[in-house]
Amino acid sequence: MADEKNAPTKADDAAASVPSDLEGHVDAQGRYPLLSVQHLSKEFPVDSGVFASKMSKRVSAVDDISFDIFPGETFGLVGESGCGKSTTGRCIMRLTNPTGGKVFFNGENVADMKKKDLKSMRHDMQFIFQDPYASLNPRMTIGEIISEPLIIHGEMTDKKERLDFVRELLDEVGLNPEHINRYPHEFSGGQRQRVGIARAFALRPKLIICDEPVSALDVSIQAQVLNLLSGLQEQYGTAYLFIAHDLSVVQHISNRVAVMYLGNLMELSDWKTLYAQPYHPYTQSLLSAVPVPDPDVQRSRKRIILAGDPPSPIDPPTGCRFHTRCPIAKEICSKERPELKEVAPGHFCACHFAAPFPIKESSINL
Amino acid sequence: MDLKNQPVPEGSHLLEVDDLKMYFHTQDGVVKAVDGVSYNLDRGETLGVVGESGSGKSVTAMTIMGLIDMPPGKIEGGDVRYRGLSLFEMTEKQMQDIRGNDIAMVFQDPMTSLNPVYTIGRQLGEGLRLHRGYSKEQATKRAIELLDMVGIPNPEQRVKDYPHQFSGGMRQRVMIAMALACDPDILIADEPTTALDVTIQAQIIELMQEMQEKNGNAIIMITHDLGVVADVADKIMVMYAGRPVEFGTADEIFYNPVHPYTWGLVRSIPEALVDEKKPLTPIKGNPPSLVNVPKGCSFSPRCPYATDRCRNERPDTYTTETGHYSRCHYSMDPEFVAKNAPTNSRRRAEENGAADAVAGKGGEA
Repeated sequence: MADEKNAPTKADDAAASVPSDLEGHVDAQGRYPLLSVQHLSKEFPVDSGVFASKMSKRVSAVDDISFDIFPGETFGLVGESGCGKSTTGRCIMRLTNPTGGKVFFNGENVADMKKKDLKSMRHDMQFIFQDPYASLNPRMTIGEIISEPLIIHGEMTDKKERLDFVRELLDEVGLNPEHINRYPHEFSGGQRQRVGIARAFALRPKLIICDEPVSALDVSIQAQVLNLLSGLQEQYGTAYLFIAHDLSVVQHISNRVAVMYLGNLMELSDWKTLYAQPYHPYTQSLLSAVPVPDPDVQRSRKRIILAGDPPSPIDPPTGCRFHTRCPIAKEICSKERPELKEVAPGHFCACHFAAPFPIKESSINL
Repeated sequence: MDLKNQPVPEGSHLLEVDDLKMYFHTQDGVVKAVDGVSYNLDRGETLGVVGESGSGKSVTAMTIMGLIDMPPGKIEGGDVRYRGLSLFEMTEKQMQDIRGNDIAMVFQDPMTSLNPVYTIGRQLGEGLRLHRGYSKEQATKRAIELLDMVGIPNPEQRVKDYPHQFSGGMRQRVMIAMALACDPDILIADEPTTALDVTIQAQIIELMQEMQEKNGNAIIMITHDLGVVADVADKIMVMYAGRPVEFGTADEIFYNPVHPYTWGLVRSIPEALVDEKKPLTPIKGNPPSLVNVPKGCSFSPRCPYATDRCRNERPDTYTTETGHYSRCHYSMDPEFVAKNAPTNSRRRAEENGAADAVAGKGGEA
């Protein structure tokens, strides 16, 4: 508790003093990243409990991924279910302990932080969860839910001041401040997600990890929540790590987007390039599989339909993890894992045959 | 005595839903889950039903299949006619002959719709043994064929497996195989791809379209995803608070929508491949409770164009010559529609074309 107040300055000092790990990680404006994920890995044992042994198989959920997030930007992380995108988010927040790699937040390595440091780190890094029905305690009023982070971090010890601040927050996220004493069950899904957002913003964090924040909501409500998130970002300069499976939502909200497949990072670029000129065959098939709400476009466009299901992460394919479903895979793909190479300024792709639209010819016309 | 082998009587359609009303009588009051749904469907056609959760999409389908418990449900009016025969006048025995045989359904959640204690083969063959009197061996043989047809590798082995040994996409393929086992006339698919990833969704949609081409069955596709209906539907019904608010061909709904709710849905989806990001235009507020549907137009509390007339007077159904109908007082006012409807790719192309060459192909669309 004592070093609570010093935490921000300590972090700033650290950022200034240990740039060695962050060397070369600057953006166009010469800023150091707010968050730098370096070679992050996470394995889960398949067996757990009494019978688990060191020999038992392991699920490699996240395997050696690296990316940076700069202050105030939205970084989108997309992929199909089971690709490790949520695990990545949870490792960054240390909701689960990574098994390899480093995560620098504010210049400090989150991966080896002690419990006490974690608490002060989480003052600046907050989480918005997917399920608005399960992530709010049903026995607490929304006022109590939103003031909890303030109490935990010892801010606004005066109750009246705190409640006034919570009312302000409620107003900001589009809820009626008079509803401060209501319980979560009295709200709809979209409104509950607004409560979750208010809770995440209560400490004015620098980074918020949003894990599928809109996928449980209807389209009309989804648009409301997306606009709210953009508005709050504009106002407070918060950076987002936006994890989602919906490519059009990620495109809409993100500055830069990374695509994951089976625990690997396949492609990373600014949103426009990634959607207009993807290099990786997986990104291309993913984009071509998204149905466009426009019958003319839908009838005329060529689509790549991937065969089969994603393989199991317990025994992932050798070499490139995508080679079992890739329409352009050659022999080398099953032997060598492709590096994440810079194929154009700021555009990274992990494919031996990376090229804009490499699989145009083999596309099937529906 | 298969109904599906008899000709459709002159003047009727394969399926006619006529002002269907299904209310639930609960402690909190009467929930008007389906309140006046009408449409016709012919063989080979696909109807897309779109709407948010609670708009009555699934209840309509369940009512057609006779799967709603009554009570608490009660049919308060309207009729459903299959090949000219009213489904509501049939006995339970007759309905059992129709269910799975003439009209089959694919449910949303492939994880819970299969029985975990029976093999895939037994569940696939159940309909055939029931409706066609197949023996156990015949049913298993046909089950293997069906699994092969929906693209499950190694069907001879997989037919003996249990549902937990299949992935989500494969279970949904099994559900489709099961629904298609007796060559139904109508396939009702209730959010068949919502629980699946996009690459698997693309596989499943392609499979359903292939099967339709081969068998000529009609499909009712229930979904909340406008992208999916743009992909498959010939006709689209947009539902809101238990009522269809707009109905038309896919082209009419996407390129010439006239109801403000349809506009709101279109504006809520992030546009693909744009140069500049614009904020989304969401529909304000929340869908109404079905116990207490607003007086007048049920969309009026959320409609940005609502007038006093909308708040007090329930709009009639306004139908054009092509059968495109809308329940909005102002949908027949071309000026109102032109001023407020969202732009779309066709309109943009037209405008660009008009700008490029004045004497052009303005009349094409």
